[in-house]
Amino acid sequence: MTTRLRGKAAIVGVGTAGLGEAPGFNAMDIQALAVHEALEDSGLKLSDVDGLFTANMSHTFPAISTIEYLGLKPRWIDGTNTGGSSFVAHALSATMALEAGLCDVALICYGATLRSDAGRMTPAAEQPTYEIPHRPRYPMTAYAMAAATHMARFGTTRAQLAEVAVAARAWARMNPEAFERDPLSIEDVLSSRMVMEPLSLRDCCLLTDGAGAVVMTRADRARDLPNKPVYFLGGGIASYNRAVSEMPDLTTTAARDSGERAFAMAGLKPEDMNVLQLYDAFTINVILFLEDLGFCPKGEGGAFVSGGRIAPGGPLPVNTNGGGLSFCHPGMYGVFTLIEATRQLRGTAGERQIADAETALCHGNGITLSHQATAIFGTAAAL
Amino acid sequence: MTAQLPASGPDLEFQTHVEDGRLWLQTCEACDRAIFMPRIICPHCGSLRLAWHPASGLGTVYSRTVLYGRPKPGDTRPTRHALVLVDLDDGPRMMSRLPDTDPDDIVIGMRVKARIEGETGAHVVVFDPAGEANA
Repeated sequence: MTTRLRGKAAIVGVGTAGLGEAPGFNAMDIQALAVHEALEDSGLKLSDVDGLFTANMSHTFPAISTIEYLGLKPRWIDGTNTGGSSFVAHALSATMALEAGLCDVALICYGATLRSDAGRMTPAAEQPTYEIPHRPRYPMTAYAMAAATHMARFGTTRAQLAEVAVAARAWARMNPEAFERDPLSIEDVLSSRMVMEPLSLRDCCLLTDGAGAVVMTRADRARDLPNKPVYFLGGGIASYNRAVSEMPDLTTTAARDSGERAFAMAGLKPEDMNVLQLYDAFTINVILFLEDLGFCPKGEGGAFVSGGRIAPGGPLPVNTNGGGLSFCHPGMYGVFTLIEATRQLRGTAGERQIADAETALCHGNGITLSHQATAIFGTAAAL
Repeated sequence: MTAQLPASGPDLEFQTHVEDGRLWLQTCEACDRAIFMPRIICPHCGSLRLAWHPASGLGTVYSRTVLYGRPKPGDTRPTRHALVLVDLDDGPRMMSRLPDTDPDDIVIGMRVKARIEGETGAHVVVFDPAGEANA
């Protein structure tokens, strides 16, 4: 009875801080600002938070460091770290903990200052022993290999990959908080510097600073708070491998299972979704996830995204904030999928608002296509 | 009950076996599947009965990518470093490279053969084109 969690909790507050560049601040500083913002938004206080869900790559014990910095005394902590998918998975765990009465107010948060610190990804302490001697560059190598395999098997083209980056940029141009807002064409993507065949610079996400926070509470309490509740309808996770060399098939991700689990819990289908937030660390991700989550058949993702179908004005809005490709990507992007879904379902997304959005799908991806988490949210109309 | 440790660990055993220049893989005596990376338990069936065997080393390039480094001062072209995933005929897949092959000559589907490179205790598996008729 996995549907037991459907509609039992809701997002009631969201906040961001330090998006883009935050020189002179550390990850915990900007995370605290995002948390303050999310709590102000929710109408709750820091002292109300009794459940903490967090992960990062800068701290060995992120949850404990966060409670100390914020002065929390949580009854329940979940520090499960699955990479960038962590926070989408946390939305499922938070709903579970809230429904079980382990906590009443759940805080999901993340902060990182990669851009200001070193301007590159902090490598995870543990790396695949038998891959490292061959000098891969992670995370890029894994996604480049997935793209190369997809192109060889299905005839996907670099121009189709570029459609994903161009759509993301078109959305970012309508988001005043997006880091990259200059016009971007297919030709610009194709002619940008080759970084890791077949991925060029514009096929790769940004590397920014940034923090995000989400406050969740049980549905009954959510209705008494100032914002329109954004109800959790379903969630699922799936993982088969850490290293890309251990991935059973580079053209099919575990999102196939996480998505199926989330849709089953929500009692909804892909065609019921009004807006998608898909973890776009690289352009190939969006194509893989559209296929694996059931929005188009396997192998047809390239054709599916062509002609602006996921761009503003297209029939399937994807990554309406500009995504990791153009909005913000501080190493682990997943929390921003929850924040943008919330803004769309509240109807407060400004120029980029999708008319009458009642349902949203968030998809998080962790490490090198190693962990997948899907969560589906809806307004009261979708309950 | 406590588990008895084998005489040596899988990483050390791998290094010891490939000292002879051949690729060695573990094969599960319970489910008969070869595995890589070296492990103490079979990820297919959970058995601890893993035995080392020399492998054919023949395989097919499953995927490839080329990293473009920024050109160093004086260079006119970027440095390029090709990486591959190889599906071994023996079963498992591994990440590797073809140190003596131009990146442009490495294509998905090409046949390759393993050889062992590196210092004692730090051996790695690399590949060369196999040059088979059915490449």
